[in-house]
Amino acid sequence: MAAVAVHQFAQCITCHAWSPDRTMVAFCPNNNEVHIYKFIKDRWEKLHVLYKHDQIISGIDWSMRSNKIVTVSHDRNSYVWNQEASEWVPTLVILRLNRAALCVQWSPKENKFAVGSGAKTVCVCYYEQENNWWVSKLIRKKHNSSVTGVAWHPNNILLATTSTDGKCRVFSTFIKGVDPRDSSAGSSNELKFGEQIAQLDLSFTWAFGVKWSPSGNTLAYAGHNSMIYFIEDVESSPSAQTIAFRDLPLRDVLFVSERMLIGVGFDCNPLVFAADETGLWSSVKFLDEKKTAQSSSKYGSQFSEAFGKLYGQSKHGASNDTVEPSRPRGGAHENCITCIVPLRKGGETVVKRFSTSGRS
Amino acid sequence: MANTLRLYLTCIRNTLEAAMCLQNFPCQEVERHNKPEVELKTSLELLLNPVLICRNEAEKCLIESSINSIRISMKVKQADELENILAKKFLRFLSMRAEAFQVLRRKPVQGYDISFLITNYHCEDMHKHKLIDFIVQFMEDIDKEISELKLSVNTRGRLVATEFLKQFI
Repeated sequence: MAAVAVHQFAQCITCHAWSPDRTMVAFCPNNNEVHIYKFIKDRWEKLHVLYKHDQIISGIDWSMRSNKIVTVSHDRNSYVWNQEASEWVPTLVILRLNRAALCVQWSPKENKFAVGSGAKTVCVCYYEQENNWWVSKLIRKKHNSSVTGVAWHPNNILLATTSTDGKCRVFSTFIKGVDPRDSSAGSSNELKFGEQIAQLDLSFTWAFGVKWSPSGNTLAYAGHNSMIYFIEDVESSPSAQTIAFRDLPLRDVLFVSERMLIGVGFDCNPLVFAADETGLWSSVKFLDEKKTAQSSSKYGSQFSEAFGKLYGQSKHGASNDTVEPSRPRGGAHENCITCIVPLRKGGETVVKRFSTSGRS
Repeated sequence: MANTLRLYLTCIRNTLEAAMCLQNFPCQEVERHNKPEVELKTSLELLLNPVLICRNEAEKCLIESSINSIRISMKVKQADELENILAKKFLRFLSMRAEAFQVLRRKPVQGYDISFLITNYHCEDMHKHKLIDFIVQFMEDIDKEISELKLSVNTRGRLVATEFLKQFI
């Protein structure tokens, strides 16, 4: 069962992120601003507009615990915004990139964030207390093309990246002084920064939307050839499963639970994948049922609303009763969906709600 | 005759649906620039394989795609000299006014009669299925237009000749 709500914010949304208490959402309406909206009573109201970037903002992430927003843009810059009183104050992060930045994500412990860029490098930034600013370390020379997606493993050290050269790579981003040296865990011996732990060469086309499962056991990413790849046990002995589906390629994926994954993409419809007990993944269904054809052309999805939708869903997980207040949102996308973000309370492992934003 | 046209157009439509999965992608070669990769062809990994759909030797359609743009080039049927001239003039007329069409390219690709360039910005502004409908409709209409033009030229020529030669009777 899925309840869906639609919110029209702008004609085209590049990326979005939710605040820790899930009442505010920050997104980029396809220009160089960040709009922050708050859900007051039963309407969305525009609270702030953050102007600092010169070009379109390609990635936004809102940290759960420290309430910071990081934004990266095509103008090679990144800002970390801190909320002081009621204003958002930007801090420039020197990324040392010479091409556009494409994606960003806070690490699980929120002391680092990773930026993927068109300069074929990944930038990992951490906060230096002594100098009171953000320092970046680059992972160079390992990628052959632009880095389109980054994802942190729950252990805060491993980082997976996808690139337009079709490969997914896993790196170690251990930084002395920031990450505690954990000799008891003894997971990976290569604790050097930028050490490539694995390279997955499964796709011949561009790869997007990489994510780790909540326990960090499984890695999933989507390729432009309408296939989705699941890899178990990346560190020790990777074993891969690929699923080819007959619809248009996915742009982004999200692990709802350890065994369920949602993919969104050019098909304007979220697609659910589930794993059974033996660990075999298969595609289950689309979340939006197609309405009976209202017009002659049957391509894409339903034509219910007009432009720009932010769409969130509430799903009832199999084993838990929902405690949070139901926030009904509904609707459908008319154009490609570019980004899917979980709406989760801190500490939850099963994502019950997520929102997607797109280009309609 | 109509059957093959249907099949041809359906094939093109399906190919376009798959190929028109475009996204915003900043240039890898030059900082702060955003160019249609299919025109530049500098980074080979960003280009997809071009697809050529031929109806017969005279009519074909080339679809080249990349990560942020797609180029569709068409060669229309030209049976005789007259159709050749008519097609050339008509398509040149359209290409000159490419600004109004937005997705039309001012010069056709070498070896073809007319070309379209669709970028991710067009996909953001307009619905993808409507763009595909437009292209397919265009292909259907071109044939009709050229036949009509040829018919009217022939009719007019006949009328003028009849009138002119009347004076010699």
